[in-house]
Amino acid sequence: LGFPLRNNPFPSIDYRPLQNLSHFSLSWIEFGEAIWSGWRSRWFVRFVMAISNAERETAAAKEGGGERKRKRGAEKPLAKWRTQGEQKTYSSKLVEALRRVRRSSPAASTDHSRSRAIRAVADRALALAARGQTRWSRAILSGRTLKLRVRALARAGGPKSLGGVATVFASRPAEKTKPQALERKARVLGRLVPGCRKLPLATILEEASDYIAALEMQVRAMSTIANILSAAGSQPM
Amino acid sequence: MSSRRSRSRQSSSGRITDQQIDDLMSKLQSLLHEARLGSHDRASAAKVLQDTCSYIRSLHREVDDLSERLSELLDAAGVSSDQAACIRSLFM
Repeated sequence: LGFPLRNNPFPSIDYRPLQNLSHFSLSWIEFGEAIWSGWRSRWFVRFVMAISNAERETAAAKEGGGERKRKRGAEKPLAKWRTQGEQKTYSSKLVEALRRVRRSSPAASTDHSRSRAIRAVADRALALAARGQTRWSRAILSGRTLKLRVRALARAGGPKSLGGVATVFASRPAEKTKPQALERKARVLGRLVPGCRKLPLATILEEASDYIAALEMQVRAMSTIANILSAAGSQPM
Repeated sequence: MSSRRSRSRQSSSGRITDQQIDDLMSKLQSLLHEARLGSHDRASAAKVLQDTCSYIRSLHREVDDLSERLSELLDAAGVSSDQAACIRSLFM
């Protein structure tokens, strides 16, 4: 996985840590579980430090310190999805994963299975980019591992593996004064955001905001990659 | 979960009312959708939730379409290392 970076945009930044990802890229599942078992784990810290520090500082300098000071609290986590550093990190991971997908299914299996594989890989890369700070990302990472088992469990009633952890923080008293229609819509929203069923409304909204921002970045990155590939396809290098 | 940034703000002066939470969150949502809603006045919470749901659904659909497109493109040509460098350089 040695990319010859001829056009290194940040000459002062060492891209070698990116190539260390080859350890992790061998098994997303193991890596996801490493995050799941402890965010302070060795791998996770190394991943964060190696990838995000240098690029984040550069990106943050671009965004301007003023934005951070002005928008504090809830908005600060959302702005991170729009930085170039994040998009870059995500795109790199996605490209590596796409290469693996292509290798693993050389004979063009049905488009659906491969596009589903791509979707799964993209979602997992997105969840990793969240660095374990949001419930939806943790749900995606753990969900992919137990996908088959959880489906059976969910039908039996009570997805304990996902719901068990998700309800750790659902300690706020139930909202009794909310009208039913609002509750229903909130539940629908909770189903749309991974890992957010049966959570209090405030938590769901917070997760949804971050999830939407992350999805937007995902769409931007994937469409850019698709454009590059289609452009490159018409002009074979 | 220990949060480095104060995401779950439990005010020490007392619990935050649900109404306050709703107001803050609705504002948050509206900010996200400002491009879509245009200059709508902040509608009811139900509308915000509804719009959020449909927006997430449309984003999901877009990701699915892009996955389809990428799978077709992967069919034609893999991602060579040159293209990988090209992609990265594009995000300068």
